Amino acid sequence: MADDIIFELLHSEIINYAKEQSKNNGNKETDLSVVEYIGFAAGYKIMERLTREWPRFKDELDTMKFICTDFWTCIYKKQIDNLRTNHQGVYVLQDNAFRFLTNFSNGHQFLEYAPQFVAYTCGLIRGGLANLCINSVVTAEVQTMPSCKFHINVQRTT
Amino acid sequence: MAVCVAVIGKDNSPLYIGGIGNDCSTDNELSRQWLVHTALDALEERLATSSSINANSGNSTAHTDLRDLYLGLLYSTDTHKIYGYVTNTRIKLVLVTSSTSPSGSNIRDAEVRTALRRLHALYADAICNPFHLPGDQITSVKFDKQVKSLILNNV
Repeated sequence: MADDIIFELLHSEIINYAKEQSKNNGNKETDLSVVEYIGFAAGYKIMERLTREWPRFKDELDTMKFICTDFWTCIYKKQIDNLRTNHQGVYVLQDNAFRFLTNFSNGHQFLEYAPQFVAYTCGLIRGGLANLCINSVVTAEVQTMPSCKFHINVQRTT
Repeated sequence: MAVCVAVIGKDNSPLYIGGIGNDCSTDNELSRQWLVHTALDALEERLATSSSINANSGNSTAHTDLRDLYLGLLYSTDTHKIYGYVTNTRIKLVLVTSSTSPSGSNIRDAEVRTALRRLHALYADAICNPFHLPGDQITSVKFDKQVKSLILNNV
């Protein structure tokens, strides 16, 4: 499908842009907060549309299930493969063939570049949850190439 | 005939209050704000009961489906009826109809439901404007126009 590739190319250009910016500013490390913020804004806005036809969510787990199924299908054309939680606000979402990484390799080659390609998605999840009134910190972990784990840490205000 | 519609944010701050009337005087504006805000308590109450029922799902009452986004008639005064709708993202949509005018007194529930659904769709489009920051008031002229035509045509 042609419309899928447009999103992928735009995404990789955004990352190139962020790399270029941080090089110009003299940083050795790539500053990914811009990419994360773009994801956040997109996630926040897309959530209003996606949940329009949905009944109200029962609880937090219900919301996470929504993220794993409908939200993921809408953006990455597949569902999350594994959802784990400790029922205390930590959720781990595992995608065995993460779309932005499948084109690279099936091994450890390019592993050092992987974090750049998951920052946007972290922001996307965080923004989506923020609009559903769940404040969270989302981090990602890549061990072997196309698979990726997202850790969602819900911040409770107590 | 709907008198006014309002979009209320997560923190109960009004994002948009629009209505039609004979004039746009300050007095009219104030009464609109007052009408919409009287409904907010009733709205919160409905939401609170829905979550507590879900918490102990054993005693499901004879209420309407509380997972429905449309909350129905919230509050009615001598002159107005106020209907509510809360999205999954905790945006509250309020519609006020006049119960004194002949077209408003026998308005059907289904009509209000469709009107609020369409308002939700309009809101979702307005929020997708990249220049709109979440939590800001909606100043879009297009949104205003669409809402006005919604009020005039649909209900």
